[in-house]
Amino acid sequence: MIDNPVIFYSAAFMIIAFALAALFSRNVIYSLLASVCVFFLGALFFYILGSEYNAIIQAAIYGLAVPVILGISIMFRGKYGQKQKNEQRKFTVPYIMLMCAGIFCLAFVYLVMISLVMLPDTFNFTGMPEISAYDNILAFAKGIFINYVWAFELVSLLLTIVIAGFSMFRKRGA
Amino acid sequence: MAVSVYSYLFLGLVLFLIGLAGSVLTKNVIKVLISIEFMLLGVNINFVTFAVFCDSVNLDGCILTLFYTGLGAVELAVALYLFYLMFRKKQSDDIGKYTEL
Repeated sequence: MIDNPVIFYSAAFMIIAFALAALFSRNVIYSLLASVCVFFLGALFFYILGSEYNAIIQAAIYGLAVPVILGISIMFRGKYGQKQKNEQRKFTVPYIMLMCAGIFCLAFVYLVMISLVMLPDTFNFTGMPEISAYDNILAFAKGIFINYVWAFELVSLLLTIVIAGFSMFRKRGA
Repeated sequence: MAVSVYSYLFLGLVLFLIGLAGSVLTKNVIKVLISIEFMLLGVNINFVTFAVFCDSVNLDGCILTLFYTGLGAVELAVALYLFYLMFRKKQSDDIGKYTEL
């Protein structure tokens, strides 16, 4: 767990910059590379927050596996590296107003919720609580195998169904 | 000076809004999928933040983040397979042309 403002703010600036670069880059390959940086920085934030297990999962799945899938899907388009023309939608005034209103409403609801409503008694605003690595793993094991065992099994079943479905589609030649 | 909980929550909000804007504004289907993953990352950062600052004993938010990471990967795989089918039919990655499967 790292409670250093310099690391946090520099990483936050970088993750926002890479996210914007992923969206506004005209080349899809550059978007993919920027999104990989965003996913790795997300893993860094999980590590900063003291959740090392989530950081490893994030780096393994979103930092390595997902970019491979995305890269394959870019490659089979056959025109990777080519600049996409007319990629952005046309901005109209009502569309922009609607977007701004939605974003402001969302931000307002969000700030009201975190400042007024959802405040449990044990909420700690300023300091980050100390969590040892042993307690972290213990809480994960308790959560996965006792408290949320059905959800865990359901997610495992879903992953198995996806893999079986892919092999079925592959056999049928779809 | 310690980093407060508001900084983490604001970062999650910014990531969510960037993903929302990207999923609405871009026409490339791969960028739309990437934007959806950004939204999921923002939500996950908020989950872990609440788990660490509010529920540091059970860490329920971290476990939910674990599930959502797995489900996000599944969703991405299914969406990319649909994209594969649509691209073979339409020969385009413009999401506006994907009106029928």
